[in-house]
Order: sequence, then C-alpha cells, then structure tokens
Amino acid sequence: MSEKIYACLLRLYPSHFRRSHGEDALQLFCDRLRDETGFIARTRLWLDLFLDLVISVPREYRRPQTVLIAASAAHPPDGAPLFFVLEDGGLRPSALFSGCALTLAGLSLFTVLLSHAGSLRHLNFVTSSTQFQSLSNHSPHTTPPVIAHDQLLMTASPLESSSSTDLQPSPLAIASAAGVVPSVDNPKLDPDRERVLNAVISNLRLHYVDPSLAEQMAGSLLAHARKGDDSAATDGYTFAYLLTSQMREVSQDMHLEVAYSSAPIPDRPRKLSSEDLAHYRDLLLRDNCAFKKVKVLHRNIGYLKLDVFADPAFCGSTAVSAMRTLNGADAIIFDLRDNHGGSAGMVNLLASYLFDHPEYMYDPRGTPTLRSFTQSPVAGNNLVHKPVYVLTSSTTVSAAEQFCYDLKMLHRATIVGETTRGSAHAGVFYRIDDHFGIGIPEAHSINPYSTPDWEGTGVQPDIPVPASSALSTSLSRITHHVSPQ
Amino acid sequence: MPKQKLTPLPSAAFQILLSLAGDDLHGYAIMRHVADQTSGRMRLGPGTLYNSLQSLLEAKLIEELDPREDPRLNHERRRYYRLTSTGRKLARSEADRLADLLRVARAKKILRGDYV
Repeated sequence: MSEKIYACLLRLYPSHFRRSHGEDALQLFCDRLRDETGFIARTRLWLDLFLDLVISVPREYRRPQTVLIAASAAHPPDGAPLFFVLEDGGLRPSALFSGCALTLAGLSLFTVLLSHAGSLRHLNFVTSSTQFQSLSNHSPHTTPPVIAHDQLLMTASPLESSSSTDLQPSPLAIASAAGVVPSVDNPKLDPDRERVLNAVISNLRLHYVDPSLAEQMAGSLLAHARKGDDSAATDGYTFAYLLTSQMREVSQDMHLEVAYSSAPIPDRPRKLSSEDLAHYRDLLLRDNCAFKKVKVLHRNIGYLKLDVFADPAFCGSTAVSAMRTLNGADAIIFDLRDNHGGSAGMVNLLASYLFDHPEYMYDPRGTPTLRSFTQSPVAGNNLVHKPVYVLTSSTTVSAAEQFCYDLKMLHRATIVGETTRGSAHAGVFYRIDDHFGIGIPEAHSINPYSTPDWEGTGVQPDIPVPASSALSTSLSRITHHVSPQ
Repeated sequence: MPKQKLTPLPSAAFQILLSLAGDDLHGYAIMRHVADQTSGRMRLGPGTLYNSLQSLLEAKLIEELDPREDPRLNHERRRYYRLTSTGRKLARSEADRLADLLRVARAKKILRGDYV
C-alpha cells in the first residue's frame, strides 16, 4: 500500500525526472520502508518524504532540460516537424497559481466522484493503461532490473505469441462488455497490459508446482485487474511489482516474481564459448577471485572481505589459500557487506572450514545433492571451534545471504550489520516478451529450518548496527571473548 | 546552468561527494552513508538525492558505472555512481575551504580544541 501511495506521489515530479530516476526513487523508498520499521521510524520516513517533495518538486520543474534541448538541436528530422523543449525558464507565478487552482478543482471533483464510485475503478484502469504505455518507452538511462541469474534457466516461452482466446477474458474486455468502458481512443495500448497479464497467468497454470494454488493466483490476478488495483502502475517496473505482490499475497511464495527490464530481454541465453569461459576465468583471477582482503588483524583476529562467491571450479585454490592464511586466527570475520552473491559451491567450500563434520547447507535455489554438504572436516584446519562473525549490509545479496542464513540457522556465526537484501532467485525464468518475464519455482527444496528463507525479507542480523560500524562492533565483541596472545 | 547550481557547492552535494570518496555506491547506500557521516542530521529524500546526483552527473563530478565494466552489476537493478577525478578535486578544495574556516573560528575563540 505504501509503495502505491509513493508511486502516486512520484507523479508530482516532471516527466523527465520520472523517466530518469522514477524507478530509483521508488526503489530507495522500498529500501527505507524495509529497513525502517516501527511507528516512530515510519512516521519519520513519511515526514522526510513530504518535506523532500515540498523542496524537490519545485526544484525539478525549474531544472533546465539541457539534454533534451541538445538532442532536439542535434538531430533535426528530415522533413518532419521539429519540436523544441520550452522548459528552460522557471514557472511563472501565474502559472503556479493556475496549477494550484486546477489541482484544487480536480481534488474537489475527485471527492464528488468518490461518492459515486460505481464506475470509477473502470475509469482508472483505462487511464492508467494509457500512462503505462507512454511511460514504458525506454529511457536509455534506465538500468535494467534483475532479470537473469546464474541459477535461472532462461527459456523462450511458448506462450509469448499464444492467442488469448482460450484464456479467461481480459479485465478490459470484461469492462467493455459491461458497457462501462467505451472503446478507447488508442486501442493498441491496452493489449500490452492484457497480454502480459494473460501470459503470466498461463505460465503459472503451466509451470507452477501447485496447480490448485496456481488457479487461485490466476483468479486473484484477474480479480485485481477487474477492480482496477493495477491502476497505480504507471510504468513497466511498477506493473511487474504489483503483479508480483498479488501472486505472493495468495501463495505466500516469495520466489514468484514478475520481472521487468527496460533493456530488451534476449530470446534465449547466449551459449558461453570456451573463449568466454577463459576470459571470465582471467577476470576472476585478476581480481583475486573477489577476495578483497585476507589478513590477520590485531589480537589475532582473521579478517576476510569477499565481494563475490566465485565459482570454485575457477577460484577453489584461491579460497583454500585464503583460509590457510587465516588458519591460526583465534576468531574469524567474513565481511560480506559488498558481496553480490554468486556460487553456492563457494558457499559450501568456505563453510567447510567451520565444521568438523559434513553439514547440510540449505539452498532454496536447487534440489539437495551430495554437493549440498560441506566438505568437512578439512585436513589441518584449526577454525572449527573458533568464533565466526559475518558482516552484512542492505546490499548483501543472493549466495551471500545463503552463507549468512545457513550459518545463522546452524548457530555457527553471529551476523552483525544490516538486514540483507532478500533475493534468493529460486526458480526458472520464462520470457514473456522483450521486457517482461516471470520467475516460477518448479520444485520444492525442503527447508529444514522453521524460519522461512530470506526471499523478500532478507537475513536479520543478530546484532543490528549500521553497515559502516559492523566491523568495529564485531572487533569490540571479539576482543571481549578472545584472550590476547 | 549546472555549474552555477554547484557554486557554491551545496551541502547535500558535498556530502554525496564525500560518501563516494571511499567506494562506488548506489542511491540508497549514498543516502545511508550521508546519514551516517552526519550522525543522522541529513537524511536525503529521493527527490533531493536524485536531483543532486543529476546535477553532479551533468557537472561531471561523478559518473554512472556502466554495468558492462563490472560483470557483477549485470545482476543489479540499481545504478552505481563513482567519484570522478574532478569531483575528488572539488571535494578536496571544499574541505580545504572548510578547514580554513575552522582555523579562523579557532583563532577567534569560537571553537576550542584541535578537533571538531
């Protein structure tokens, strides 16, 4: 609900701001919403946002759009009408006054309409549909969201061009049939939203592990569309987010996700050649396999800063060498505050040094195999009974979260820092069209712990502190427990 | 014009440059760093943050990281920003200016002690 409200408030900004930073601003809001819980923190968050709106909205309207002006001047179209952007100057006071008056009139009209709300929702649907199309024009500055993952198999969906005749009628068709919505001025806009919704439903029915739950989700998605709940979606990213929320509301399955990418999603993943793999290996080795710091600190505390869990096939020897360096330490700190995830194999390899027997490392991204167990005990290893601290931030993600989650569940590490990002990426990715796809878990990996995995919620730290002070907090705690040499 | 907007350097812009001095960060991390380095006194809202980032980008004081530069960013939905050499110089000169002010304040007995 809060995201919807903020998505609506974002419309107050001029279009150039929404195009360039709308998704980022919404993401930042969601991050704060996730991290700032409790009545006082939430109240402060909303106060911050309103103050920010009051200050930054007028400033954005005053900002000259130099880029657009330059682009217009640089590429005069042959024979086509030339348009100039005339937003170089600030708004006149009279224009501001007129805008305020119109806004008040609009709000009054909206209040009157609310009391006659019979057909309002259908009206909203058409309006938002038009905006959705207009805002889904792709800005070259927009960073594509996460749409692929090393664990996801990208598959060209057979449903991509399938006819919707065998599917349930679309929300728009239902509304039109009821005579509530006249045929829209631009009929080619609505099928986009309709097609994505139908493809999501079809993929759910075809691939989701629980068919009856898939049917319930399909019914819920259609019901939401009929009620106009998708009207808050003014761009592809928000539309994908809403569909994801609606599916999760029914299934409570945090691994289901509709994804939107402003950059075109390829038909099928490019097969990696041996040259690609060699290049990848070189890059990893040049970066010391993302083992950024391996050292023994004051009071014999081992410190390992790892930014990626690289594939042990390429980086196994680097990992072994790093752990050997720390073998004599009295305690060990894994700094994962800048870790972007990676391979579950590396998670298991590093965890192998922390146990004296093979331990199951739960991974929601795959079915359990023998490789799901640590390779403990490791010959010559002295770290089995040493205290372990793992440092986290709100950007610690994916395989790094698996490392935190499993060690926390096994009571083998103290997690210090911030709640992690909350992305398990468990499922198979189905491409819907050039910009939309859906991730669907097709198998259940049974979680041996009573606590749900980290998808959508992140791993909660045992000692919550800002990421910037996680190291000092850990060092301080360790020095109280580790006897100095 | 963008350069005029950043002269003198607004407080939010200076704090953003400082936050990027250590590492490349995305928007939310910048906001958190700024809150930390100002002991929570400055919490940049999304509008102010991205407005400032846009001005800094236009003035080439920071740059946006190309995901192709770093394969790890291909999995990130977020945009990362990096301090340019020009931005670092400007942040340093702003810090020098503030240090001069501090020296004057201490000489006038407004501030005491070696550190603030």
